[in-house]
Amino acid sequence: MEDDRDRGLLYDSDPSSPSLSPPRPFALTFFDRERHVKFLEMMYHMLPRPYQSQEINHLTLAYFVISGLDILDALDRVHKDAVADWVLSFQAHPRSKADLDNGQFYGFHGSRSSQFPSKDNAIFTPNGSHLASTYSALAILKIVGYNLSNIDSESMLTSMRNLQQSDGSFMPIHIGAERDLRFLYCAAAICFMLNNWNGMDREKAKEYILNCQSYDGGFGLSPGSESHGGAAYCAIASLRLMGFIGDDCLSNASAPSSKANIRSLLDWSLQYGGFAKSPGVLPDLYHSYYGLAAFSILGEAGLKPLCLELGVTEAAATGL
Amino acid sequence: MASSSSSEGEGRRAWVPLASRPEFAGVTPLPQDDGPSPVVAIAYRDDFRETMDYFRSLYSSRELSPRSLLLTSLAISVNPANYTVWHFRRQVLEALGADWTEELEFTEGVAKRNAKNYQLWHHRRWVAEKLGPDAASRELEFTRKIFCLDAKNYHAWSHRQWVLQALGGWEDELDYCAQLLEEDVFNNSAWNQRYFVITKSPSLGGLNAMRDSEVDYAIEAIHANPENESPWRYLRGLYNDENEAWLNDSRVHSACLRVLKAKRNFKFALSTLLDLLGLGFKPNQEIKDAITSLRTSDLGEAGSDSDLANSICSILGLEDPMRANYWTWRKQQASSSS
Repeated sequence: MEDDRDRGLLYDSDPSSPSLSPPRPFALTFFDRERHVKFLEMMYHMLPRPYQSQEINHLTLAYFVISGLDILDALDRVHKDAVADWVLSFQAHPRSKADLDNGQFYGFHGSRSSQFPSKDNAIFTPNGSHLASTYSALAILKIVGYNLSNIDSESMLTSMRNLQQSDGSFMPIHIGAERDLRFLYCAAAICFMLNNWNGMDREKAKEYILNCQSYDGGFGLSPGSESHGGAAYCAIASLRLMGFIGDDCLSNASAPSSKANIRSLLDWSLQYGGFAKSPGVLPDLYHSYYGLAAFSILGEAGLKPLCLELGVTEAAATGL
Repeated sequence: MASSSSSEGEGRRAWVPLASRPEFAGVTPLPQDDGPSPVVAIAYRDDFRETMDYFRSLYSSRELSPRSLLLTSLAISVNPANYTVWHFRRQVLEALGADWTEELEFTEGVAKRNAKNYQLWHHRRWVAEKLGPDAASRELEFTRKIFCLDAKNYHAWSHRQWVLQALGGWEDELDYCAQLLEEDVFNNSAWNQRYFVITKSPSLGGLNAMRDSEVDYAIEAIHANPENESPWRYLRGLYNDENEAWLNDSRVHSACLRVLKAKRNFKFALSTLLDLLGLGFKPNQEIKDAITSLRTSDLGEAGSDSDLANSICSILGLEDPMRANYWTWRKQQASSSS
């Protein structure tokens, strides 16, 4: 995402409207929970225009908002039934069992722009359902307390196998796309949330993950690629979700970081709530969500603990 | 063939509604059905909404025509991440019998504003596959141009690795890595690519054949900038799964010693020695003395640390405070294994 629009600014960069240019941010010295709640609540009701270029990932944007509010223990700001209904309306359904042999994936669409009305006698019903959207959908449903056993997970998981490649990696959509660790993570999280591993070959998936390990010990998004923090998360979280690494996998990573870290995170907490990518830039949903997640991990009071592997709160993960 | 290169200009010129454009006469736009109780609604701009309404219409009716191709250009300019649009474009291109070289130019236009867009790079790969090995040098040149603007563009590096493996062009790759590292020896992407080349290039003989010269290369970089993590990682990587050889290569611990003696930027020299100790390395007195002399007064006498590994961890706890917890844990590991 290169230009300012795509960084999700709160306002259009419109030189003819100087009143809309952002006020100079000041650093806070404490975590202002209410400000962050207001920011996400605003997003829950309306995403500003610059987000239209991320429209295809509508469900993921919703996940940032709703999971963010959950971390802030502010889910009361959300109409849970309405959210569940909305998410469920994105699910792709096979017309018959025979459809499950057609090579398509029957998961969730990410937005209305990849979902087309199905006509009863249509020969061609475009199916744009996507692994990452499916992950976002199930995560949101878990967060709002929807009972996942009400979903047709059988079709979803059976057809998900169509997306796994011979090297163990996953393509996110059957019409063709890039394949890398991100979608393997999505597949693992989906199977875990549905408590059903029929959707993937775990051994082959593990093989692919190990092939992604770089000479320096980190993980790249695909074999040979440079080690990358996001890839490391996908690799380790997937291995853990699939049951290949247990609690004895040592690390002190869960211990709170030094004060310097917290201070720099607070520096990025702006007066309008949310977090930005770097100082001097307006906040966006992506960095806001992961900033909140970071503060949750750091044990900030008033934030709910996270289930790190799934990217939702522990309460949502266990269904409490 | 409908002009597809106008997409980048569209956003900047005044928007002419599609309903007024003769080329789209007869198309009935299909509005978005937001479904029940929409949440997290997006405040679409009019041109965005109209473009997507027309896209929905042409896509649903499977019209694979020049005006559909034009529409995908418009839709991509407002919605470059929309994989359904890109997919439709591919269907149209195949149906119309595309000029693949022209299509490469189209992607270059999109890349100017969206160099980090996954769909763009997937599309580029798809087009390059159509052209086959003849496309190799153009693709390598394209990624080179991207690196001039952003030496670490992850997508471009992925694409370059794919090109080399699928289409060829390995001959100059090691030289290219050397050139990038001359420009910026801290460029970890270039170090990564170098490792990729020496292990995978069909013309170099593989890691075993290249190891010796690469060790010298890495050590030279280390001495120029001992604080540069990349050559240290690279050096270790050259000996992955070859612990015996790593232990016995005197160049490695000599390099560490030289850095320690300079008493500056010795973090990675110390952690390398720690790793070596863990594998049974027996340091000589010179190395032991060099380590001990790095202890600051905060750490007290050397005797308070039961052995060299503990000493190293203590020093690193102070030198590398961001990872203080990690070095404490390494100290515990070192004690429990001895």
